[in-house]
Amino acid sequence: MGVRAKLLDFKKRLSSGKMYSVVILLLGVVSIMGFWQYKKNMQLKQQLENQYYRAFYDMTGYVQNVESLLLKSMITTSPQKTATILQEASRQSNMAQENLGMLPVSQSVLGNTSKFLSQVGDISNSLNVQQIGGKKLSPEQYKSIESLHGFAVSLEDGLQQLQTDLAGGRIKWGQLTKTANTFFEKSSAAQNPATQGMENMSKTFQEYPKLIYDGPYSDHMISTKPRGLTGNDLSSEDLKKKVIDFFGSDKVQDVVETGKDDYSQIKTFSYNVTFKNLPKEQIANITMTVKGGSHYMMLYNRNVPNASVTMEQAKELGRKFLEAKGFTNMVDTYYLKEDNTAVINYAYKQDNVVVYSDLIKVKVALDNGEILGMESKAYLAAHMKRNIPVPKITMEKAKSQINAKMNLLSSGLAIIPTNYKTENFCYEFKGNINGKDFLVYINAENGREEDVLMIVNTPNGVLTI
Amino acid sequence: MKKTVKFICLTIIFTVIFTALYGMEMVSTGRTPKMALGSQGEEVKSLQQRLKNWGYYAGDINGNYGLETLLAVKNFQTSWGMESSGVTDAKTMIEAGMGRFLQKDEVYAAATTDNVQLLARTINGEARGEPFEGQVAVGAVILNRVGDSRFPKTIAGVIYQPGAFTAVADGQINVAIDPKSTVVKAARDALNGWDPTEGCLYYWNPKTATSKWIWTRQIKRKIGRHNFGI
Repeated sequence: MGVRAKLLDFKKRLSSGKMYSVVILLLGVVSIMGFWQYKKNMQLKQQLENQYYRAFYDMTGYVQNVESLLLKSMITTSPQKTATILQEASRQSNMAQENLGMLPVSQSVLGNTSKFLSQVGDISNSLNVQQIGGKKLSPEQYKSIESLHGFAVSLEDGLQQLQTDLAGGRIKWGQLTKTANTFFEKSSAAQNPATQGMENMSKTFQEYPKLIYDGPYSDHMISTKPRGLTGNDLSSEDLKKKVIDFFGSDKVQDVVETGKDDYSQIKTFSYNVTFKNLPKEQIANITMTVKGGSHYMMLYNRNVPNASVTMEQAKELGRKFLEAKGFTNMVDTYYLKEDNTAVINYAYKQDNVVVYSDLIKVKVALDNGEILGMESKAYLAAHMKRNIPVPKITMEKAKSQINAKMNLLSSGLAIIPTNYKTENFCYEFKGNINGKDFLVYINAENGREEDVLMIVNTPNGVLTI
Repeated sequence: MKKTVKFICLTIIFTVIFTALYGMEMVSTGRTPKMALGSQGEEVKSLQQRLKNWGYYAGDINGNYGLETLLAVKNFQTSWGMESSGVTDAKTMIEAGMGRFLQKDEVYAAATTDNVQLLARTINGEARGEPFEGQVAVGAVILNRVGDSRFPKTIAGVIYQPGAFTAVADGQINVAIDPKSTVVKAARDALNGWDPTEGCLYYWNPKTATSKWIWTRQIKRKIGRHNFGI
């Protein structure tokens, strides 16, 4: 039988219906395999895209940090402080560059961005070395930092745009090769090509910018013994009564215990609170400390439709609320306004010295001034009456330490926490340079420049970076 | 047969109309894309910064479209072969790499706080039907991981860590959500420091959790359907 005959025979058998089952089975197997392959393929594609997104978001964060660090380096006056800031800027730009390299974008498109980042890294690094030697920045070096900062601002801007487009689905990763980086093609940042040594990369970790939301001095965490807790251990029943007092017995419908934390430094009980004349879903969550029955955290989510309370009134309402709950001598520092609610940071004040270690956050509804939340972890961990010494350095001496170009707005004394769970007694100077507000901290005992913070005045609040 | 032809014709017509409308929509979503003498705001600042970087502008970045800015724009337009009008229209903005300001307000607003969006999207994928406290708690777990040495050091790093969150594995994390949604509020509260979990690093749904290992974690809180542990 020839091939032709075989085919004819096959066709005849097929048309007579004898082989349908075989064909259907084959088709089935093939389509299942196809589907499985497709799914696998999609999974891999998704994994890859997620890594791109990760690299992209990380890079944006690092570039933002580089931008604010460069700005700060122009404000500081002591070589030591400038050195630390520049070193950090150099590290952050290396991280940004590393993440940039992971994006599926061709070298020709992102080349200039990459070059810019290594320049920031290199310049910061070399200036850092000079600063450690105790030499101050020359006017030219000032200029070059200023221009690098300008590019960083625009780069941030452009990244923000890409982010919007990616999130809105207007740009897919595949298209990015064509659209990215319009911010550098008009000119090149400088002529010398940057060295991309491996040793520059992955030096350390990123400081993630939660400070922006949180006020500068709430990051010191609790692993030491809480100092702000006093009194005897209370039972859950005692705490329940305190919870009812907190909201007012005329308003509370019911209090239900939802959990107990025995494993943390600060032992707590948590409760759900329902209210009279309100839907059952509208609950408040509150956490109380076992020791002394302090209010540790409260969260009450309700819709706030409009704002009629001013920021000044809200600050006063928050302060009065804290006073009524036993937190006295608290002054408001930074705030954030969103969705018609204000989150206000309060710090403890002792003898005219603001103690930034003892922080409490209060959330105020701007429609009727109701307190929608509070959080006192940092306060309970750190608070105590402090022995505040007499400053060894005079205010005048400290003032001479700050940047001469700064237009001084106010000054005072403050205690700021360090990353090493210690505290520094400082002069706090608030000033203005080139339309931007800054806080500079000069140690009141040895005159060292301890910290520089940038104040961001937005319609939504006063924040610091 | 006639019916089929009619149907095909109608389909084609609809497709054409739809495509045309869709195409038009893409073009007409812009805001008033113009800046001129006397304009003020963030857009002007961004423009001034760019012109300064490229050497067209020497003044302050103050957000006021004054004479100096106008002259700088004119210079820029001349060097890029555009009509030297001193008015920053859509074309000039695109040339200056400022296309972002031509887009819809809402999308722009949604992207300005990138960490909030990213966190909100994860909460949306992981704890949509949960009580508000449970949503804040999921956000807090992510932030606690950022602070823990065993996890990546950035919010994006933690969220996109392979195998960490199911909402990431299927890609729903990458879709923008409404800035007015509750999950955005939850994300903000978490970023502002509210942590109902007391420093927990893990959470799981006891009904669906498949990993045995997760049960070796110390449970600190139960909120909604999730257990939270360290």
